[in-house]
Amino acid sequence: MSRGALSWPDCRWPARLWPARRRPIAAWPSAACRAASGLLIALLVGSPAHAAGPATPDIPVLVPVTGFLAAEGSSQRNGALLALQNPPAGVQPKFAVTDTGTSPEGAVNALERALSDGDVTAVVASMLGTQMLAMLPIALAHKVPLTTMSGTADITRKGNPYVFRFFPADSVVKGAQVRYAIDVDHIKRPAVIYQTTAYGQSGHAEILKALEAAGIKPVFEDALDVSVKDMQPVLAKARAAGADSLLLQLHGGPTALFLKAAASMDIGLPIIAGSGLAQPSTVALLDPAEIKGACAETGASPVSAETPEMQGFLARYRAAFHTDPDGFALGQYDATMMVLDAVAHGATTAADVTRVLSTESYTGLAMTYKSDGHGDMAHAAVIICYDGKSRIPAVVKHYDFPIATP
Amino acid sequence: MAASQLLLEVLALGAAYALVALGFVLILNATGAVNFSQGDMVMAGGFGAVLLGNALHVPGLVLLPLLLAGMAALGVVVAAVAYMPLRRRPPEAVFISTIAVGIILQNAANHLFGAEPIAAPPLLGAGRVRFAGIDASVQSLAIIGVAVLLVVFLQVLFAHTQFGRRLRATAQDREVAMAIGIPVDRMVTVTFAIGAALAGAAGLLLANAFFVTPTSGADYMVKAYIAIVIGGWGSIPGAVAGALLIAAFEVLYPSLPLLIPPLLRMAQSDTVFSQTTSTIVLDVAVLVILVARPRGLFGDAVRQRP
Amino acid sequence: MPMMPWRTSLARAGVGLPLAVIALVVAAIVLPQASDYALRVLSAAGIYALLALGYSFIFGQAGALSLAQGTFMGVGAYVSGILAVRWGLPFDAALPASVGLPVALALLVAIPVLRLQTHYFALATLLIGQIVLLVVTQWESVTGGANGIGGVPPLALLGHAIEGRLPALLLVWALVVAGGALAWQITRGRLGDAFAVLRTHPVMAGAVGIDPGLLRFTAFLLSAGYAGLAGSLYVHAIGVLSPDILGFPVMVTCLTIAVIGSRLRIAGAIAGAVLIIELPEWARFLRDDYLLAFGCILLLVVVALPGGLTEAAERLLGRFWTAPPVAPVVPVRIQPRALPARGDALLRVAGLGVRFGGVRALDDVTMELRAGEILGLIGPNGSGKTTLLNIITGIYRPDGGQVWLGGRAIVGRKPHAIARLGIARTFQTAALVPEMSALDNVAVARDAACVGLRQALAVGLRDGPRARARAEAMALLDRMGAGQQAAVPAGALPPGVARLVEIARALACVPLVLLLDEPAAGLNETEQAELARRLRRVADDGVGLLVIEHNMPFLAPLADRMACLDHGQLIAAGTPAQVQADPAVIEAYLGTPVAMPT
Repeated sequence: MSRGALSWPDCRWPARLWPARRRPIAAWPSAACRAASGLLIALLVGSPAHAAGPATPDIPVLVPVTGFLAAEGSSQRNGALLALQNPPAGVQPKFAVTDTGTSPEGAVNALERALSDGDVTAVVASMLGTQMLAMLPIALAHKVPLTTMSGTADITRKGNPYVFRFFPADSVVKGAQVRYAIDVDHIKRPAVIYQTTAYGQSGHAEILKALEAAGIKPVFEDALDVSVKDMQPVLAKARAAGADSLLLQLHGGPTALFLKAAASMDIGLPIIAGSGLAQPSTVALLDPAEIKGACAETGASPVSAETPEMQGFLARYRAAFHTDPDGFALGQYDATMMVLDAVAHGATTAADVTRVLSTESYTGLAMTYKSDGHGDMAHAAVIICYDGKSRIPAVVKHYDFPIATP
Repeated sequence: MAASQLLLEVLALGAAYALVALGFVLILNATGAVNFSQGDMVMAGGFGAVLLGNALHVPGLVLLPLLLAGMAALGVVVAAVAYMPLRRRPPEAVFISTIAVGIILQNAANHLFGAEPIAAPPLLGAGRVRFAGIDASVQSLAIIGVAVLLVVFLQVLFAHTQFGRRLRATAQDREVAMAIGIPVDRMVTVTFAIGAALAGAAGLLLANAFFVTPTSGADYMVKAYIAIVIGGWGSIPGAVAGALLIAAFEVLYPSLPLLIPPLLRMAQSDTVFSQTTSTIVLDVAVLVILVARPRGLFGDAVRQRP
Repeated sequence: MPMMPWRTSLARAGVGLPLAVIALVVAAIVLPQASDYALRVLSAAGIYALLALGYSFIFGQAGALSLAQGTFMGVGAYVSGILAVRWGLPFDAALPASVGLPVALALLVAIPVLRLQTHYFALATLLIGQIVLLVVTQWESVTGGANGIGGVPPLALLGHAIEGRLPALLLVWALVVAGGALAWQITRGRLGDAFAVLRTHPVMAGAVGIDPGLLRFTAFLLSAGYAGLAGSLYVHAIGVLSPDILGFPVMVTCLTIAVIGSRLRIAGAIAGAVLIIELPEWARFLRDDYLLAFGCILLLVVVALPGGLTEAAERLLGRFWTAPPVAPVVPVRIQPRALPARGDALLRVAGLGVRFGGVRALDDVTMELRAGEILGLIGPNGSGKTTLLNIITGIYRPDGGQVWLGGRAIVGRKPHAIARLGIARTFQTAALVPEMSALDNVAVARDAACVGLRQALAVGLRDGPRARARAEAMALLDRMGAGQQAAVPAGALPPGVARLVEIARALACVPLVLLLDEPAAGLNETEQAELARRLRRVADDGVGLLVIEHNMPFLAPLADRMACLDHGQLIAAGTPAQVQADPAVIEAYLGTPVAMPT
């Protein structure tokens, strides 16, 4: 997939949903008038609430489109939009995309604004753990279900019945990562290299837990900032510490830098990476030869297109967004489709949708989803590996995790 | 890891940082003001290289002059918008206006290119060479080569041409330069153009090896700022020296356990010699320098009159 | 009898008062029906208003570009959040820690960092912020690392949790009002004037006895305290602790609010916060581009409206509404300092030398100034006359030699300490604060040692100390013949009068020694004669005067003794007639030895 063309996903969206592309800044009235009128407008009750009719559920999309999680947030957005723009028959969802940025404040504001605009049926929520934690009390107070891709363990451990995680939790995917490394690569002395962000730290904690359950301790650990450029020192130190494998929990860009450096140093150790290496945008930065033999964990790999439905999804996604989908996009697509499917089958209110999400199962493209009672819907993970000849990975292992008894 | 290998990495990274610091210090000398958008200009250069590379499909070496020209134009615009109207105001005003320019550049890049990391085309090619026990990428050598060329070119410009002498005169004493008929405003604009072009060159070189994202500029900005302080505020050779020192620290500190094996077995060695600790140590060291010897290594080249 | 001082304060409240009234009216109408979302955003605006109020101390009043304000807010948030989640300490019980720890951090870094110049200070505060962010992100066991800590309880006051949005909003804004009132109390009186001097002419501040270090220190600590309060409110309002609060974007928001809202105005900080926090909500039609618009607006305001929106509004209002005239001030004579007898050596300089780069600016200068005498100092340009003054007043440190004031060695002391010991000076270009009236410019130098935070807090509405300082300043202006222009802003004074005001200010320090740098420059002959008479009267009171001048017709009849410097060396000393006829002096001025006419 060519990375060259500037992607303008915005232009793809139906004109009726968006106002004119850009209003000239010069048209703004003076700041003082703006202050007065804007203050009034902001404080007054918003547009008259209209009850979401049986066929017009309100599903706001609140994801990070700017900041360090913007790539993942954009995947969430695209996946949700693909579902919302191609709903089942009889359903015409109303939706708006809002950027939540990187701070909990941004997410909380976005959620409350969406809630104040009218009756919300379900929310596509940011996958950033801290933002999810901030949104949970509000969802509880307004009794509105949140569907998310966030891997942070805590969000389903707060006893909140309105959170639904459609991507395998960190414990599942990291469990799969470690299990694969032990079963297939027979590791005994892994090096664990992770990011200093929320994603990296929570993944690191789960990797350590999974290793400990198998009686293994890492011989080397290092936490890298996203701005680190030179990966040679950390690779050399891992090697010098006697590591026999490299377990990664890094974001996309750093994963690519790491693999490049590993290839140039001929490190010769098996590399099992986190979801960073399952994102097509990351793989696009690498030569196929550089990722020969490298594997990664993810919820699903749409670019591997194993089934005809997956192929159909892949084609539609590429046509709509001019880029390749990753597991987050597919997961959010499935999540949104489950909500729309519930609406198509008669769910009219947020309470109905919540009940459906909590009790029923849904067969999506990636897997079959069913809540374990705490809001975790996805209980399977896959390991994908690259053969060194192409950028399309093959799904080499499928792990199913049992539903935990409450 | 051979020491010579590490040295090469230090040189490559330091060369790129030196280009950023050089542009920064030139603008500083000419205007007395800190350009907070220098790092974002590096990012803009990186994205510019991506854009040109996708449009033209030629090696980076051919793109470089085009990019330099484009970035110089950007420098002229930034000078006109963020410096010229503020030149008689205290320096904080330019701090803030350039912070605003940085925000604009970042968000424009995010809007145009998205948030995912993108690689710019390599300067010459993507291969590797081996010599003298060192395994180096062609790109690393190219970075060093281009940086050396640009620094030499600047040296010649400043020391041996009339134009360069006028630029230096403007930087040394604005009032006197005006009095002897030098078009000071034009000189300042040219300096901004040069500073932006240097940032763009650094951006092109770095974006191939290390990718570019809209937020990657902030890191370069802080490093350039630190380089100037270490090397001596306003000193051009100081800026280069400071940049090399920062690169050396960044590469060597986490590599200490490789050079001194007993450290590898030390308790908590992973944490003590991690990249994060390296940044903290560098920051603390700079703070100590600021407090103890604020004139840096080469001294305060720009003296403030009471 | 001066008119009620609080009424003049109100009249001078500028835009703040009308804005506050409008805001109250709008709030009373709209708040009861507002949605949760609108209330939340307005609470956030209040929290940022507190942050910006604090920032106005260090950035506005002290004029120092600190980039650590966001860090202080983050520290306050973390302390309050951790205490709440791990130890169950409610918001109000945790306040001493959540406000105290940022202040402690500010204390720790202030001493080494505050004396740095702008560009170094900004970097130092930036690095401190970076270090705190990295440490917090790594220290997972205590802070939860990058994932933060969830489940921070809502605000609580005196044992009651504040559950609703509206009560929370009212609490936040009550604190904003309290913070604003405190800021007003601190800056409305003499301390505010001292800050104005500090940021306009940092060097001159020392010369009138104002301790710039202490002022900046006070401002820095105050800003940290406000930030800590804002942070603890923030974390209880959001319910989640997350390291992004220590990130640079928070600092940028604070800076934007200060710049756009006017960094010197309390109303500006509050109005700016409301504007900036509400802006993304109004700019919804821009969606993701609102940050871009943000940057453009910031740039526009910095370039076009340097003082910020509030000051621009005040200027606009000023066209339609003039402030009431200042009531005349009754002059009060100052108690003079006990002065030594005429003829005693007041100031002695021995072997003074200093080198700048390769140039020897002063070389082994020895001289003496006696009580009640006027010593004229002449010499060609660049001979070191002003440098000598700068060394005596402590601005430069000499390489060698010593200076004694009445037997006390003063080399190495800070300029403000030397000023308080009894040395006052004027500058080659009159260093007055343009926005302040001539009267206030002089009043600020009265008793500068008694201007501080404690005194500012203790002052009542009538502000007795300020009234007294003004009355004494009036007497001094009268003495220098500038009494008529007391109410004129110093920026509008003609140069001759400005000079007189500066001398009056120097006298306000009740000096033993008065150093004047080219006082007659820019005066016509009548004014020069007037000035000479007044200076003679000052000397007659027992003060020792050292006058640097090029103007011989002015200086020669005035001075009791003269000295001449050339290339940093003392080449002649004696009576004016002796020095003027000295061939070395003539050679220094003209460049070639002059053959005396036979």
